[in-house]
Order: sequence, then structure tokens, then C-alpha cells
Amino acid sequence: MEPGTVQNLNLLLQFGLPLALILFAYFIGSMLEKRHFRSIGAREDALHGFPVTTFRNLPQNWQVGQAELVTGNVVVSLDYFKRIIAGLRGLIGGRVKTYEPLLDRARREAVLRMVESAKSRGFDAVVNVRLDTSRLANSRGNGEGTAGVEMLAFGTALKLDGR
Amino acid sequence: MKFIPRKARNDVNVSPEHPLVEATTLVVGLGLIFAVILVALLFLVDLLLWFVPPEKEIRMFDAWLPEDIATVAVDDPRLETLEALLARLSRHWPDAKYPFRVEIDDSPQANAMAYPGGLIVVTAGLIEQTQSENELSFILGHELGHFHNRDHLRGLGRGALLLILFTAISSSDNSAALGSSIANLTLSGFSRSQEAKADRFGLALVHAEYGHVADAWRFFSRINNARGGLLQSYLATHPPPKDRIDRLAGYAREQGWSSDGSVTPLDWPQDPSAP
Repeated sequence: MEPGTVQNLNLLLQFGLPLALILFAYFIGSMLEKRHFRSIGAREDALHGFPVTTFRNLPQNWQVGQAELVTGNVVVSLDYFKRIIAGLRGLIGGRVKTYEPLLDRARREAVLRMVESAKSRGFDAVVNVRLDTSRLANSRGNGEGTAGVEMLAFGTALKLDGR
Repeated sequence: MKFIPRKARNDVNVSPEHPLVEATTLVVGLGLIFAVILVALLFLVDLLLWFVPPEKEIRMFDAWLPEDIATVAVDDPRLETLEALLARLSRHWPDAKYPFRVEIDDSPQANAMAYPGGLIVVTAGLIEQTQSENELSFILGHELGHFHNRDHLRGLGRGALLLILFTAISSSDNSAALGSSIANLTLSGFSRSQEAKADRFGLALVHAEYGHVADAWRFFSRINNARGGLLQSYLATHPPPKDRIDRLAGYAREQGWSSDGSVTPLDWPQDPSAP
């Protein structure tokens, strides 16, 4: 092989492969993200008007027939592209913008699942909603575990006899 | 008061900036910052060289030998030949402040290196693969050129600074990868100009010694045809032979140096330890 070819191959392996991986992760990741946001938007529209509050106390005119715990949880993984950009961002600081959609998707999806579960079981409202999050795996890019965000939404679902 | 639910019009929790814009800004911005720091450090090393004049360097590295080479026995007769050749060549550089020493590394890989304190290490593999004195003179002259430009100390200083720089940013694997790519690109540019300068200096010594530059780069023509194997080491630390030959031939033409002349053959004294 010509030495030029060897050098080009080296260059390709050193820069081309990671770059291809990052671009692949970006295109697949952003496609999945867009699809998820579309799904979230449509389901939020469908549930529009269903009372979901963080209040602990009920309005005085609500007459509760039945109360039950409802939960919704979700784990969203981050992609290689987001991880790389966040790693670079970590050098200089600032908003980690690539992680913001992840948290948003997780929060809205968890609340949606909780509300969907309440509605499908015939409840009329969810009150005292709380959100909790925990880190499932190491988010450093050292290949240990899959970094992602876990979100848990829970609240008290109510069946109302009258309001 | 009646509560009327309304849909949120926009999502304040997600930045509107396109991720590719952020990616480009970060990579280009950080790359530039890193390159500026790197170049500044390289110039700092050059500046520091002023504080280590050759006299001080010689005191610091007196009789020093790098640990990773296996030198041949001190009574190896080939050492005498090399020392005599080196002495003849360095006569044409009267301002040299170094007491040049030469050692043979017992490695089959062909290579030659310049070390602090005026030490030139030639491998046994190189001795076997050079076919005339003129070839060997040019290789020694090239290493003398590194002393002339003080590349040997510069390399040491740059290595130390890069180590510090990478340790500082290695908290993030990705940024360390970006940094080392930029460092490689920058350094290879720098070392190419160093090698070219050392080549010109070496060729001038060869011309001064023989009155012509015949055969000076024949070693490279040969390794250009048969590469790999035992030459890997030389090719890893020196420029590709084809470019080098072209540059050397061009420089000789520019200077009006004849490439015709009688070539001095090499006759090595028999190595007593050889089977």
C-alpha cells in the first residue's frame, strides 16, 4: 500500500468513524425526539380540560366518592450526540441545551401516563401531583451503563360525586 | 372565579436553538481556543530555550543516556568510524558548542536520534542499511541540524507541556480527544518545518565535506521503494521519503550544488561480537 493511502486510512479511522457515529446518533436521535414530541402534543390535546393540580386541599364544593394513588413513570435515554456536546459544554459551562428536551419529554410523558391511567379507570381528576426523578446510570461518557433521565409522576386520583 | 384551562402556547423548558448550531459553535470555538493556547505554549517553549544555552544544557546532560536504548559495547569498532565521520562533519560547523557524542543502539530498526547534551544515537539497523559514507553523512548532518536548531530540547519541552495540558482537560474524554486531534495537526506542521530545516543544514554539511551532494538522499530513495518492516521506526519519526527527496533535490539545485561526484564507500570494521 502507498504511504498516502495508509495515512488517509488512519485519518479516516481517527476522525471519520467517530464523526459518522455522531451524525448517525444525531439523525436517529432527533427523529425519535420529534416523533415523541408530536405524540406528547397530541395526547396532551386529547386530555385537555382534565383537572390535574398540585393542590393538597380540594375545592369546597367537590364531593369525593373514591380516591386512589396513580403513578406514571418513564426513562428516556440520551444519545451519543447529546453526550458529546454536553461533554464539550462541560469545559466552559453554560446551559446544557441538548439535555433540556430530555427532561421536558420525561416530565410531560410521566404526567401523561399518570393522567391516562387515571382517566382510563374512570377517575375525574388528579390532585396533589408530585414529580420525582432519580439517576439510573452514570451520565459520564465512560461507557458504564446507559445514561438517561427517569421521571416519576404520582398523585391522588379522585372520583367525584358532584362539584 | 371560574378556572378556564388553556393550552400552553410554547414550551419555555426547551431552548429554541438548533442542536447542530450549538454543536458547531462549541467545536469550532473550543478548537480555536485550544489551538491558540497550544501555539502560545509552543512559543513559550521557544522562549524558554533562551534560558538554557548550550553550555548549560551540556552541564545538565553530561554523559546522560536515555533509558530506553540498549547501547552496544564501548569497544565496538563501528563507534570509531562513526565518531571520525561526525568529527569531520562538525568541522564545517565551527560555532558548534556541543561536544558531540555518538552511540549505537542495538536495534534492528533503522533510525537516528538527537538527544540533549550533543548525543546522537544511531541504530545498528541504520548502519546495516546505509550503503555509502555519503548517505550516512547526510543522516548525521541532519541530526546535527537538529542541534543547530535546538529541536531536541524543543521536543522535550513540548512533550512536557502537552502532557500538562492534556492532564488538565482529561476530565472530559470527548474534549481530550478533540484536543489531541488539534495537537497532532498543529505539531505535525511544526515538526515538518523542523525536519526540513535540519535537512537543509545536513545537506550543507555534506556539500562542504565532499564538494557535491551525490548519494546524499539515496537512503531515502531506497526506503521509498522498500518500506515497512525494519524502516517503520525511521518513517514514524521522519517525513515521507518522496516529499523529502523532492525538497532536497530542489534545495541542491537552488544552491547550485552538484549531485555528481565520487561516492565514498563505507567499509565497517568487523564487529567482534557479530556471529
